[in-house]
Amino acid sequence: MNQDIEALLDKYYEGETSLDEERQLRDFFQQEGIPVHLQSHAAQFRYATDARTQEPSAGVSYRIVNQLHNRTKVRTLTTWGLRVAAGVTLILVGFAGGRGYTLYKSQAMDIQSHEMIAMKKSLDLSQSHTSASERIWAVNQVSNLSEVDAEITQILINTMNFDDNINVRLAACQALRRFENEPLVREGLIQSLKIQTDPNVQLTLIEILVSIKEKRAADAMQRLAQNQEALEIVRQKAEEGVMQLKKKSTS
Amino acid sequence: MSSIVFAIEMDLKAFTQLVLPTQGRLYRIAKLFLRSREEAEDTLQDVLLKLWSNRQQLDNYQSVEALAVQMTRNMCLDKLKSKVYQSTEAETNLPEISTNAKSPYQQAELSDSAALMRQLIEALPEQHRLILHLRDVEEYSFEEIQEITGMTINNIRVALSRARKEVRDGYLKVNNYESGH
Repeated sequence: MNQDIEALLDKYYEGETSLDEERQLRDFFQQEGIPVHLQSHAAQFRYATDARTQEPSAGVSYRIVNQLHNRTKVRTLTTWGLRVAAGVTLILVGFAGGRGYTLYKSQAMDIQSHEMIAMKKSLDLSQSHTSASERIWAVNQVSNLSEVDAEITQILINTMNFDDNINVRLAACQALRRFENEPLVREGLIQSLKIQTDPNVQLTLIEILVSIKEKRAADAMQRLAQNQEALEIVRQKAEEGVMQLKKKSTS
Repeated sequence: MSSIVFAIEMDLKAFTQLVLPTQGRLYRIAKLFLRSREEAEDTLQDVLLKLWSNRQQLDNYQSVEALAVQMTRNMCLDKLKSKVYQSTEAETNLPEISTNAKSPYQQAELSDSAALMRQLIEALPEQHRLILHLRDVEEYSFEEIQEITGMTINNIRVALSRARKEVRDGYLKVNNYESGH
């Protein structure tokens, strides 16, 4: 063993060792009881091992992400593609607004049921026919309704669970929150927590379930908290969620 | 409009996933040059913000990490040149040593040699110091070091060998070991 180490040391000082061999040397010199004739090499390898453990303070990455976030918000639309896209979107919004307004004024028929039908259409059709922003628009229309039927709730739940686009899923979560009194909704939110894999949706669900004090969600949340595949922040929030739900049930 | 805002947010998420895992490395490299923890953290932040504002061009680079290391190095060298930094430099340089459970005597001895090591490494020429750090602390391959420094692999080996020997000789001199190994 020591002879191997001596041979490796010679190679090391010549800059000829591989990364594996260098790791072997660092491991060797981390031990206690290094033979006397090798002791003078130890400090150099221990330095490297120690130096690698240094990390920036805990608050730093939080601070950085926050700053990045702020820059995103004030960012102007720099590329032509984005400018054009923004222009087109504005025109479309204008058209949609105008059309909605005339419909509202001229039609005597029940606006709510009219919107419901439109919404059902755009969400229910296979997703390839509609764009994500159209679906988000449809979901937002629904959340303005004062009451919904079982069919709509089911469509919203399906959207929340299976829409390809995460922003549409998030919009559906938020819309469902408004109808927390529907029995189907609470059940749907709990089920959804079990199948969502995206951290954003997971966090939103946890927050909603805690805010509507849905104690039956504690189990699913507990499981999420122990799921090693989930992001750490999600596990942590799930843990907190379980605590809050349990606390409320005892008090 | 909301869809556009969303698109940018996803972009930020992808960026943080790409760049944040390297922050420990970038921080240590900055600290190697600047020595002070706060200065190194500020540099880390500057580098990441700069990368973020140039994110449209990141696709043109083979390795974003190599680019980030290069930027860190350049920024540190700039800071070291500026007068503002030189005036604050004196107050820092507190040793930070992580030691495992050892007897106080052993610990004192260990931290002495750790402090000595740091001094010896700080005394190295800038390029040797960086190459030694990239290889022995960060475990970069020669190809990665080539990408960062632009030196040939052969020259990197030579510089690395010199740096390792120089640190060793310095250590032997202070500790009065018999020379040779």
